[in-house]
Amino acid sequence: MYRGRRSVVNPYSYRIKRALMKAVIYGVMTAATIPLIMMYLWLFMQSISDRVLVGFIPTNFSIRGWRFLWQEIKFGEVTIPMIWPIALNSLIIAGGVTVFEVSIALLAGYALSRIEFPLRDKMLLLIIALHAFPGITLLIATFYLLHLMGLINTLFGVIIAKAAFEIPMAAWLIKGFFDAIPWDVEASALVDGCSRLQAWRKVILPLVKPGIAAVSIFAFLAGWNEFIFAYTFLFDPNLFPLSVHVLNLIGEFRYVDYSLLAATALFYCIPPLVFFVLTQKYLMQVQVGGVKGA
Amino acid sequence: MVSVRLVDLCKYFGSVKAVDGLNLEIKDGEFVVLLGPSGCGKTTTLFCIAGIYKPTKGRIYFDEIDVTDWPPKDRNIGMVFQSYALYPHMTVFDNIAFPLKLKKLPKQEIARRVREVAKMLQIDHLLDRYPAQLSGGQQQRVALARALVKQPDVFLLDEPLSNLDAKLRILMRAELKRLQKELKITTVYVTHDQAEAMTLADRIAVMNEGKLQQYGPPDEIYNRPANVFVAGFIGAPPMNLLDCSLVERDGRYVLDFTSFEIELPRELGEVVRSRASSSEVVFGVRPEDLKISKGPATSAIKGVVYVTEPLGREVIVNVRIGDHIIKVIESASTASEIAAGQEVWVVLDFNRVHIFDRKTGKLVV
Amino acid sequence: MSKRKFFFTLPAQLPLMSSRRLHRSRSKLSPRARKFLLLTIFLGPCIVMIALFWFGPVFLTVFLSFTDMSIRRAEWHWVGLENYFNIGKHPFTMKVVVNTAIYVSCTLLWNVFVGLLLALLTYYMDERSALFYRALWLLPRSSPPVVYGLLWLWVLDPTEYGLLNQFVLALGLSDKPINWLMEYPMLFIILINGFVGCSFGMIVFSSALKSIPRDYIIAARVDGASEWRIIKDIILPLLKWPLMFVTAWQTLSLLASYEYILIVTNGGPFYATEVWSLFAYHQAFEHLELGFGAALAMVLVIVSIICVVAYMKVFKFRRMISPAKIEIA
Ligand SMILES: Nc1ncnc2c1ncn2[C@@H]1O[C@H](COP(=O)(O)OP(=O)(O)O)[C@@H](O)[C@H]1O
Ligand SMILES: [Mg+2]
Repeated sequence: MYRGRRSVVNPYSYRIKRALMKAVIYGVMTAATIPLIMMYLWLFMQSISDRVLVGFIPTNFSIRGWRFLWQEIKFGEVTIPMIWPIALNSLIIAGGVTVFEVSIALLAGYALSRIEFPLRDKMLLLIIALHAFPGITLLIATFYLLHLMGLINTLFGVIIAKAAFEIPMAAWLIKGFFDAIPWDVEASALVDGCSRLQAWRKVILPLVKPGIAAVSIFAFLAGWNEFIFAYTFLFDPNLFPLSVHVLNLIGEFRYVDYSLLAATALFYCIPPLVFFVLTQKYLMQVQVGGVKGA
Repeated sequence: MVSVRLVDLCKYFGSVKAVDGLNLEIKDGEFVVLLGPSGCGKTTTLFCIAGIYKPTKGRIYFDEIDVTDWPPKDRNIGMVFQSYALYPHMTVFDNIAFPLKLKKLPKQEIARRVREVAKMLQIDHLLDRYPAQLSGGQQQRVALARALVKQPDVFLLDEPLSNLDAKLRILMRAELKRLQKELKITTVYVTHDQAEAMTLADRIAVMNEGKLQQYGPPDEIYNRPANVFVAGFIGAPPMNLLDCSLVERDGRYVLDFTSFEIELPRELGEVVRSRASSSEVVFGVRPEDLKISKGPATSAIKGVVYVTEPLGREVIVNVRIGDHIIKVIESASTASEIAAGQEVWVVLDFNRVHIFDRKTGKLVV
Repeated sequence: MSKRKFFFTLPAQLPLMSSRRLHRSRSKLSPRARKFLLLTIFLGPCIVMIALFWFGPVFLTVFLSFTDMSIRRAEWHWVGLENYFNIGKHPFTMKVVVNTAIYVSCTLLWNVFVGLLLALLTYYMDERSALFYRALWLLPRSSPPVVYGLLWLWVLDPTEYGLLNQFVLALGLSDKPINWLMEYPMLFIILINGFVGCSFGMIVFSSALKSIPRDYIIAARVDGASEWRIIKDIILPLLKWPLMFVTAWQTLSLLASYEYILIVTNGGPFYATEVWSLFAYHQAFEHLELGFGAALAMVLVIVSIICVVAYMKVFKFRRMISPAKIEIA
């Protein structure tokens, strides 16, 4: 059927058709994306104005929404504390998750990639299986486990549980980065006088730095954005991270002070957004520098 | 310095027998080349000597000390990898200094030795660069320097020249040989290039499919190939190898090639008869041991020139005899008078003829 | 650069010729012991964490589901299968099952379909705009769930200040603001999850599309094939495995996920958006019945294990595994 068409292809109408197609593609995509952009734009506009119209047009410019940065806020009975100790809790959780998750995954990923041991293939299957398994179904048991360990209502409990849930994925990712390093380079380190531990530390780790950075960013964001664990395992308001804080604000002040809510939410979003913008370029470059012929 | 001894070395990867029962003795200060087609287990052997692979079976001795279970770092080995395996995140200086840093030598001592060896290999002007900024030849020198700087007991090289262009390869070949002779390090050199092996080696170990085929000095490998494989592998163009059977007719010994026959001298025929396991044999003769005659001659076979391949100083003449094509190397002056289709006589020298047992592949005469 | 000589110039006193002897100080451990030590260092922490926080909770879930453990009471008893019988007797169980089925199937359809659409649309764009649009669609996934939930709460705000209501009022589709989450709770729960979920498909499909040789498509165009036929006859068949993978993967994660529902509707109004996993959560942490919650969770755990085992068979994960090449410790 197309054979007949080919003979009558008119380059001019063909070009028009292509241009039309391009227009339709970009049009559909832009139309679909506009609501998304408007949502995030609103967050910003609302945080710096009293009232926002038609989605994103701010009316009275005001930084009242941001006053949580420098003062406690009182609404009748309720006092909203300053943001900094809360942000610190988030930072501790995110940092703790990163350190735990990445260091354990770096060790395990190396072993899975490079060391021959009995049941190695079973272990790999297990890691993939755990990666596919929705760990959140184990939340109730994890609660009880942390209770048994005396870690309920502590930041450390949230950190260790979150890190453990992310480890299979991180180990799998990092294994991939190790897999990309030529065997000869490691063999060469061994011949040069390294033990395997030294070869890992002095030769292999420096070569997977981009991979470590990428996994660390994912781990940090997972910890920073974490909501369910913090919401379930923490009762002491002094331990609440930003996620729980924002949720409480939504519950109590949604109709009272939209600007405050938007500004707090935006404040909470800053690290993910910054990383988001930075990593777009960076992740494209995640590749291990190789040696010729390897 | 040390001698190296491999005893019944085996390395299996699942069902693949990469190295199978290898026995090899390398003397102190000797330059041994492991030669064989790619995939025959050369690299695997080298990795076993270095300690990177654990042998499935067999032992490895350095100076009569069993090192089979030693980790690589305790074996004091210098190794050059086929890919060079330089550390991409370190400068040339740090690459060369790495083995010394691991030995925890003092800083000045490290710097002194790095500079010395860099100067010797003429890369002292590159010390601040990274491997990615070097040419192939320069990378190779850095790899050599890194392997030599630690004053190794055993020096292992895995096809070090295969990534260089042809001209540089010949240059480095000479440099390497001289370097080894001066330093007198026990060296195992792996290659699939027989010309490299012939020029470099004190002794060549020819391998095929994980097994040692022959071990001896280059001239012995060339002149007395132990079996059909070695005969066919060494020499370019390779030896003419033709299947035939030995027939005894009226007290005369004749090699029957079905489409033609060659009569053997009596004593040679008797030796073949008594040593071969049956009458089925392989007849082998090197192209350079044959001559072309334009007229009939003693112990010559008639044939027709099929095609000629000029190489400059010499010409390979392909002669069709019966169903077989036989290669002959002739000087260009003689060959210039020969054209395709012409009738010629190929002259044999029975002192330079090899006969192999077809069943076992082993040399009979 | 100075002219290099043909041969090395070897100094009179060779630096490398100092007398050498076999290096005899060596590790005293046997190869087996070294290997064991190495594995302990590298795999030990991971194995401990997995044993503690994956296998531990699986067994604890089984254990809890056979008890009447509650956060309210100090003592507890074995109750055998009572919790499981109670699931059948609970007045909302049927409602929750229906909700879960609707939620999972509709969100799944949306995620796969929109993910494919986004991947195809960006496939036809130039590299930069493709990257830009994909990045935008990744925003919901990378922003904190609480903030994303807040954005939707504003979009769906029941007063005239909500985004959707502003449009509806301006266009005259309604004369008073609509309480969206009261009127169409499940629809919006699906959309809220869908806007996050579709980016997963988008990424997987985009990278699969990238690996289709351009030559195929150019050859088809030269042959005069229409774009639609190219998609139908070349691209979609090549996307078969990615499509199956995304469907399988997302079925499981949707079955288990309730984060956004918890934030936006918390299962309401009147159990209209209560899905199974959220039901388990509420029983455990709102009604404080850990035992009953665990029994509900157990159902999901069993379903997940069956699915994971099936996926491993179908997708042949074994192919991803290659042996290690350095064998010594
Ligand atoms: N790590 C390994 N795993 C499985 N098979 C291997 C491995 N290394 C080598 N082999 C196999 O062993 C044989 C010999 O390989 P190798 O020693 O690299 O050959 P050569 O260096 O002579 O070209 C080949 O068939 C190769 O496929
Ligand atoms: Mg090799």
